[in-house]
Amino acid sequence: MTSLWLWWQGYVTIRLRGPGLERLLNKIADLDIVLFQVERLTSDVVIARLRVQDFRRLRPLVRDSHISVSILDKHGAPFLLRRFKLRGFLAIGCLLSFLLIMYLANFIWFIEVSGNSTLAAETLKEALEDLQLRAGMVRSAVQPRLIEVELLKRFPDLAWAQVEVQGVKLEVILTERDGLDVEQAGPGHIYAAADALITELLVLRGTPQVRDGSTVRKGELLISGEYYDHRGVKQFGAAQGVVKGRVWYEGVGEAALSRWEAVKTGRSHRQYVLAIGPLRVPLGRSYPEETHLREAREWSLSLGRALVPINWSRINYHEVEYVRTAVPRDQAERAAYELAWESLRRQGVAEELVLEERSWVEAVADADGIRVTVQVEVLEEIGLFMTH
Amino acid sequence: MRSAVSHTLKRKFAQTFDLPPAVLLDQAAIHLFGDTEAKIVNHKGLVQYTTTCIKTRSSQGLIEITGEDLEIVSFSSSEIKILGVIRQVMLK
Repeated sequence: MTSLWLWWQGYVTIRLRGPGLERLLNKIADLDIVLFQVERLTSDVVIARLRVQDFRRLRPLVRDSHISVSILDKHGAPFLLRRFKLRGFLAIGCLLSFLLIMYLANFIWFIEVSGNSTLAAETLKEALEDLQLRAGMVRSAVQPRLIEVELLKRFPDLAWAQVEVQGVKLEVILTERDGLDVEQAGPGHIYAAADALITELLVLRGTPQVRDGSTVRKGELLISGEYYDHRGVKQFGAAQGVVKGRVWYEGVGEAALSRWEAVKTGRSHRQYVLAIGPLRVPLGRSYPEETHLREAREWSLSLGRALVPINWSRINYHEVEYVRTAVPRDQAERAAYELAWESLRRQGVAEELVLEERSWVEAVADADGIRVTVQVEVLEEIGLFMTH
Repeated sequence: MRSAVSHTLKRKFAQTFDLPPAVLLDQAAIHLFGDTEAKIVNHKGLVQYTTTCIKTRSSQGLIEITGEDLEIVSFSSSEIKILGVIRQVMLK
């Protein structure tokens, strides 16, 4: 077994060949030379290891005997350094690689999110990007506690959020709530979450305050937590029940009847950019986006799964002129209708739950555009439990 | 005759002051770690080294270790460390 210290000092593997090897080994030991891993190969061959400085002391011993000594291998730091001395560029390369690795280790290269089952990965990704969290950011810029608090604020469904920086990886560990535990939440009532027409009312605990067919306003009490138990004693607990109703939503979308189109003049310029981490070195001038269309192509250096922050970009700037063109009315209506539906989706309306839909088109004030309003009726659970 | 007297005196001295006799009497010590490692301290030289038998001199006589795949992992003037399957340790 060769220790690290021996490796640092440097050692050689020697072969001793000849008669009476034991006598020579004793003479070597008498000189206070320590031999390591002494292997007997044949009756007249022994292989041993010893420190480099001890090897020179063997010469007088071997000279008087009939034993030949030869070096089979050299190991350790002095030999490695000598090799680097002969290969200067290799040493420089190793040093630069080391420095590069040290530099790259200062950035976050992977973001791993775990524990989200109902929260969409895309939504989380957007939220993290909004919190300035992205691959390639400097590690020291990450503020885990701040991100955790912000995530919990943004997603009330989260019970726990933990942000950990592990080397070049940032781990976001989430735990979602199992759903509101009304027993744990304490006594309370169920209120209307939106203006609606009640279509179904099922009371599991509490006293109903509305009936099927009632029209309710947002925030109105639906099921009270106060009730009388089987002994006739008044109780106040957590109201439980299912309240479904027809809810109306309205979405508005606008679209222009004309648009400005960029038409290429035929003049174009090219620029190259070398990016090393946050440092960008442009080769050639850049042009304003108001008058030029930008077309970029990037080449990044990658090592397996890891992305090295060195990339080379080629940017083509095409000079353009903006020309006003008319948009067909049906096309504009379609675009506005889509925008209105987008607004409905943002309000939480699912298309498959729509019972009835109404829409109408109006011209906007300057007459250069149209507005489409879409009204939908949806059947949904409107009961919202709130503690007292 | 003189060496025998000196030996007896040293042993008595060691017994009186409760000192390890190996130190005063220049005796060899053999340490066995299971049946795979042995260490001979204070030996007086290697006599024979093969993969099945290692013999060393000591002030008590010849120490013979027999076994299989024996290998000297370190060898110095005072200590020999042996690895391998050790079957027998004899003092001759």
